[in-house]
Amino acid sequence: MTQVVRFTARRIGRALLTVWFAVTVTFLLLRLLPGDPALAVASPNMTPAARLELLSQYGLDDPLFVQYGKYLWQLLHGNLGISFARQVPVTEVLMERLPWTLLLTFSSLLLTVAVGIPLGVLAATRPRGFLDRFTQVGGVIGQSLFVPSVGIFLLFFLGLQLHLLPIGGSYSPGVYGAAWYLDVAKHLVLPCVSLMLVQLGSYVLTLRSTLIDALGEDYCVLARAKGMPNRKVVWKHALRNALLPTTTLIGLQLGYLVGGAVLTETVFAYPGIGRGIYEAVTQLDFPVLQGAFVLLALTVVIANMLTDLAYGVLDPRVRTA
Amino acid sequence: MTTTVAGLDSVTNDQVTAARATWAAFRRNPLGMVSVGILVVLVVVAICAPLIAEYPSGYGDAVLQGPSGAHWFGTDSLGRDIFAEVVWGARLSIVIAALSSALAIAIGVVVAVLGAYFPKADAVIGTIVDLCLSLPVLPLMILVAALAGPSLITLVLVIAFFSWPEVTRVVRSQALSVVRLPYMDAAKLTGGSSFWIIRKHLLPAVAPVIVVSVVLTASRAVLSAAGLAFLGLGDPNSWSWGRILYDAQQSGAMQSAWWTTLFPSLAMLLLVVSATLISIAYNDARNPRARED
Repeated sequence: MTQVVRFTARRIGRALLTVWFAVTVTFLLLRLLPGDPALAVASPNMTPAARLELLSQYGLDDPLFVQYGKYLWQLLHGNLGISFARQVPVTEVLMERLPWTLLLTFSSLLLTVAVGIPLGVLAATRPRGFLDRFTQVGGVIGQSLFVPSVGIFLLFFLGLQLHLLPIGGSYSPGVYGAAWYLDVAKHLVLPCVSLMLVQLGSYVLTLRSTLIDALGEDYCVLARAKGMPNRKVVWKHALRNALLPTTTLIGLQLGYLVGGAVLTETVFAYPGIGRGIYEAVTQLDFPVLQGAFVLLALTVVIANMLTDLAYGVLDPRVRTA
Repeated sequence: MTTTVAGLDSVTNDQVTAARATWAAFRRNPLGMVSVGILVVLVVVAICAPLIAEYPSGYGDAVLQGPSGAHWFGTDSLGRDIFAEVVWGARLSIVIAALSSALAIAIGVVVAVLGAYFPKADAVIGTIVDLCLSLPVLPLMILVAALAGPSLITLVLVIAFFSWPEVTRVVRSQALSVVRLPYMDAAKLTGGSSFWIIRKHLLPAVAPVIVVSVVLTASRAVLSAAGLAFLGLGDPNSWSWGRILYDAQQSGAMQSAWWTTLFPSLAMLLLVVSATLISIAYNDARNPRARED
């Protein structure tokens, strides 16, 4: 029991360290990049009084060390500054967008795993078969796809040519009740499938090769020798071990997934953080950009910590290591 | 001392025959050779862009025309020839990929090798690499590119600066297993300097991993650069594949004219897939167990 507690405590400690790192990197980037941070923070259209007020709010007249302390303090209180474009707190801008990004990334991850595991199992149980060749080729191509290209083509064919699905946004106005949920799900399909297509390749390829290795291990040979049906050997014995590297992959891919979400949301005008980043870029709304990055880093870190903990559940050895 | 060093150097000479065997195996892999061919064609197109197509600029009369004899890839919303845009885009995309991956590899390999060789530094380096890898890279690139302003140099630096941890991760794990081998102890016993051991013994041992990293980092750089350009953070004064897509989206052309987005996307896919296949074929060729001889 103490081992589990220590394992969990260590993972939480690492998550906190990563959050601190992300925040510090953002702070240093803002201060060290070419140009006066005052210029980056205050827009040229502001009145001198407003500019001064903003500068003192950011504490830009203090020494760097004091600025850093104040910056951390503000962050701890959830204060990410004021959006230039909308003149409302950045947290307000981002919090109305965060649920959509979470919905999109989480559902695409679930879909990838739900499609990827059976596909990987099928490929691994019939190596060099037709499906195996197909998965290998598809996996390599899938890994090389440019997210917006996939989104644009799905949008063009399924949305604009065949009129099967809505082409943008996250819901239609004026729809309430149960119909609203259906509407949201419909709007989710294209962005979610785009994100799944670019992720699927690496999961299937990883699962395939680890599962082929696992099926050659002694314990699988023994399980077959004692007369266990092949289906049970694959799904109960080999897959449990083969899933470990796949779980690691989720952690490694999370950052990539978030990047993909930014691009996908831009293609589909999906009102998540990614779309917010795109709008902030076009409006040069630096506080929103900065806040969005901190929030995304936080999301990735928390999700990463959860994957680590799941790994501990799957593999008892990790807890003691 | 000289004889010892010469004797030890013959170890590295064996690498020549190993390289020859790898190349012989690589040549027998049709997929790998086709990919090399595609990559060579793309690089030649990038270098000879001025000879192949006129620089796309200004406005044309034929707006949003489908592919035809006059415009192989059709025209965009301002009547510019998309074939010319793709050809000139190849130039920028490949330059960015080459420069940023060269920089990322240089930083990544130095950090990885130093970390693996000096265990005291490794604790710090390992932690920093882990931390960097857990940050969402594209949003970070967006933040920096937006703050620093779009230009070729910004793009190269931003991509390189956020790609080296991945290189370090891969090279470091290989280097860590190499420094534990007995021949590294033997090299230390000859009294050679750390620099000499790293250069003569550690680097050649991790070279294959570096080759694979170069290819993968470069192809990932193509996608990152395109991603930034697609968000309007590319160099606005030169053509890139990402910018063609950005223009198509901004003008709304992508909703009616499939050719505005298909051809730059295909070019990107071709480049990245062939790079990936080369690294797979190289890995297979290098592995004696996967070779059929």
